[in-house]
Amino acid sequence: MLGLWGGSHKPTLQIEKNHKPLYALRTKPATSLIVLFQKIVTRFCCRSLCLFSLILLSATLAAQETRNAREVLADLILAPPDGQAVWVEALGNYGDPVISEVYAAWRAGGIYAFESDGNTRVLMQVNGDEWVAVRTGEAVQLSEAAIAKLSKIRPSRKLRKSMKDLIDTLGLKAPDPATRIDSAIKMGRSQKSEFIEPLRKRLEAEPEEQVQAALREALAISLLANGDDAEVLLAVTDLEEMQSIPAKDFIEKVLATETAGKGATTELAVACQSALKSIESHMKTLEFYGSFFRGFSTGSVLLIVSFGLAITFGLMGVINMAHGEFVAIGGYVTFMVQRAFIDVWGMGSTAFEWYFIVALPLSFLVAALLGLLLEKSVIRFLYRRPLESLLCTWGISMVMQQAFRLIFGAANVQVNNPGWLMGNLNFGGFNMSFTRLFVLLLALVVVFLTWLLLRKTNLGLHIRAVMQNRDMASGLGIPVARVNSMTFALGCGLAALGGAALSQIGNVGPLMGQAYIVDSFMVVVIGSVGNLLGAGLSAMGIGLVDQLLQPSLGPVMGKITVFLVIILFLQWRPGGIFPTRSRSLED
Amino acid sequence: MNILSKLIKRLTACATALLLLSTTNARADDTVKVGILHSLSGTMAISETSLRDVLLFTFDEINANGGVLGKMIEPVEADGASDWPTFAEKAEQLLAVDKTAAVFGCWTSVSRKFVLPVFEKYKGLLFYPVQYEGEEESPNIFYTAEAVGQQAIPAVDYLLEEGYTKFYLIGTDYVYPQTTNIVLFEYLLSKGIPVENIGGGIRYEGDVAVSAGNYTPFGHTDFQQIVAEIKDFAASGDACVVNTINGDANVPFFKEIAASGITSEDCPIVSFSLSEDEFRSLPTKDLVGHLGCWTYFMSIDSDANDAFKANFQEWLATKAPAAVQKEGRVTCSPMVLSYDGVYLWKAAVEKAGTFDPEAVIKALESGISFDGPGGTVTTQKNHHLTKSVYIGETLEDGQFDILEVIPDVYGEPWLKGTFK
Repeated sequence: MLGLWGGSHKPTLQIEKNHKPLYALRTKPATSLIVLFQKIVTRFCCRSLCLFSLILLSATLAAQETRNAREVLADLILAPPDGQAVWVEALGNYGDPVISEVYAAWRAGGIYAFESDGNTRVLMQVNGDEWVAVRTGEAVQLSEAAIAKLSKIRPSRKLRKSMKDLIDTLGLKAPDPATRIDSAIKMGRSQKSEFIEPLRKRLEAEPEEQVQAALREALAISLLANGDDAEVLLAVTDLEEMQSIPAKDFIEKVLATETAGKGATTELAVACQSALKSIESHMKTLEFYGSFFRGFSTGSVLLIVSFGLAITFGLMGVINMAHGEFVAIGGYVTFMVQRAFIDVWGMGSTAFEWYFIVALPLSFLVAALLGLLLEKSVIRFLYRRPLESLLCTWGISMVMQQAFRLIFGAANVQVNNPGWLMGNLNFGGFNMSFTRLFVLLLALVVVFLTWLLLRKTNLGLHIRAVMQNRDMASGLGIPVARVNSMTFALGCGLAALGGAALSQIGNVGPLMGQAYIVDSFMVVVIGSVGNLLGAGLSAMGIGLVDQLLQPSLGPVMGKITVFLVIILFLQWRPGGIFPTRSRSLED
Repeated sequence: MNILSKLIKRLTACATALLLLSTTNARADDTVKVGILHSLSGTMAISETSLRDVLLFTFDEINANGGVLGKMIEPVEADGASDWPTFAEKAEQLLAVDKTAAVFGCWTSVSRKFVLPVFEKYKGLLFYPVQYEGEEESPNIFYTAEAVGQQAIPAVDYLLEEGYTKFYLIGTDYVYPQTTNIVLFEYLLSKGIPVENIGGGIRYEGDVAVSAGNYTPFGHTDFQQIVAEIKDFAASGDACVVNTINGDANVPFFKEIAASGITSEDCPIVSFSLSEDEFRSLPTKDLVGHLGCWTYFMSIDSDANDAFKANFQEWLATKAPAAVQKEGRVTCSPMVLSYDGVYLWKAAVEKAGTFDPEAVIKALESGISFDGPGGTVTTQKNHHLTKSVYIGETLEDGQFDILEVIPDVYGEPWLKGTFK
């Protein structure tokens, strides 16, 4: 082992065995003798290595004209941290999109060093199991033994920072408009004068309207720091018109210097003040609508976890304390399906993307089967004894929690999002992540399907009949026992469906169900026990109140206030939103 | 006949019991009892069991090398059960009944607050290994833990040095994040960061800020609103997030962050409660590039650390009791600070020449050094440690890439109100 720490305020090298990433460490002067010794050794190694790489660089840079971006990239990746700056600069002369592609892979840990016959080659991993040589762009076939010998190279934080400008400039020409918008805003935000030219050029060539707007915004922000007085004034009025949120801080800065220099009554100062006012009111409106949106999202999460309970507790009257654990079963089934997909097809494969679609129906089936078992063995003896059913299902919930711990361990398990659920949708200034949109959609679909089942099928008719009056239904020849077990299984399956959806936005662990059980009962009771439409409305209502209160009260006080509102609501309407007038529920 | 054989059986049983008792009595002379006080059940078990494991490993290691003052360490395990009054009860039992020479334990600050009066009453000795908020200095506790000045302040210094000018503070609503954030708030103001650049909300009582940052309940699941706020806050660049969220609420938080498109280049998040051990149950993919700050990282490249990691894995494979989880184990800062604590106690006992806690505390106060896996640690008169601080960024395999080392940072618990 060569590399040890040392050096005063100078980047030094740490060299590990087998070409692992080289990274810089900065330390303050150390005191102990050992460290002093280490320092001397390290400095010596460092100096000689730097010198060596410099000689190498000057030789290779001379021939740069004839090299392409791929070769420079390969050299950059293999260079020691001190030598990388030269290569980054050299890369600036190329506009090749391959730079962004390789860099993206490098950042995500997809670049490896491969040593053969004393040569080190840089390989890029594509589509999970294919390999491309960075230097030549050729596909490379690797044996399994060779793959085992690969060592990953990672870009240091320092390098990533120095690559930022370059990647952003390249991003302006990216085929994806979202990347172009992102790059433009980042370049404007840096307020570097050298970016003004490329931004202007791009604006002339840009076909997309949205990207044009982003470019104009970026230019205006940049001009706030780089333009002359007239340009700054123009930029401020432009930004006011665009209601640009990123510009807020920069306009504040302009206003501060203007007020300090010339007073608060100049034309520029007045323009700044009016721009700030307009941007702030725009932000408030956005926040308000955003809260509405987030409220529906929170509501859909509540709905999807409590809908199963709306059936087992609401319709059937079983106080099912193990409901949360059936939610957790959904999470664990998703985890197991994911693991099976990784084992069979590998993590980066296209098949892996489908695991979640498989996990959804499977988690429903597994939980429904377990629910069936539970109904046949325990619940069916407890239909007329609510207190016993409460205690009994509570015990079952503890047994299930411990079973999760025994099978999967006490720690949470990791569920990864499939690629198509990553990222977010941005419209009109507010974001909604795909996972949350998916949950919203799934909640709607589940509600619709359950409605179809209950209202339009024979089984649904039977369920409603049995739930209204077990004895009467039995007298009319409906197989009550079977309908009971089917309904309970349906409720448990729906709970697991909720758990599968939750695995994409939260934890999967043995205590997962506990986090949602109170919320679930709350939703069902507010929505009136036995009323599915009520459950939907109350979930959305609670979600909305929660999210609308949060910005002003914070998450802790917000939650407390929600509970208070619920208590008051139940004082006012003890039966919930749609109190039932049926006699059957009173026995 | 039957009765006779029964009688003989009983007599032999009695004899064996007596024999056993006398041997244990003989053994008690050359052993010394040391307590382990961690939650082995309940919500905290997931973190604290790792510390129990590393303590058992350390005792075995010391015993294999001849023990302390020629005596073998006999561990007495007590389960705090994630319940604070239970911690106090068990502490009393360890001190009054078992007469342990020293106790290693506690994770949450509230459990420490509960056992503190017990240790002061019985004049015992507790070693506390987990990063905490400071503002405490009991004569009967040694804090091998990171104080705020050994974790939060260096991390913020690093971010300031990197050119970040806007700080968003977020945490779980209890004593550690609240105290840390108010100290950080004062520190940032003293560094010239204007109040409007500190996000998360500041609550004033009169003119005095009493709480800084945004707080969520334990086990919070819905971070949409907070992430939207962070996104607005970071819209004009140069912003970072200081995260003191505890436990598994970090999962929905980082999932929401990843989904919102905030990357570690745009707005890095530095977390104080996430170490290698926690990463075992977190989606590290969502955390790549975000920062951590501890006085030990598993990726430290030194002989002492290599030996520590190798010995621990070997112990897991050969000597560890059946209850200890064997697969996929990592080492992290609280584990190493537990390990350091045991060796510091051993050195102090040897220096004092006795197991008497009062003499041992005196020896510890005089300044004792130990070359641990995270570098040299030295005890101070104020019951804290001088040690090196490391700043690292998270990699996708749940390890840290070390970015900066700040050697020999003095442990100072009293920071509130000192930054003007």
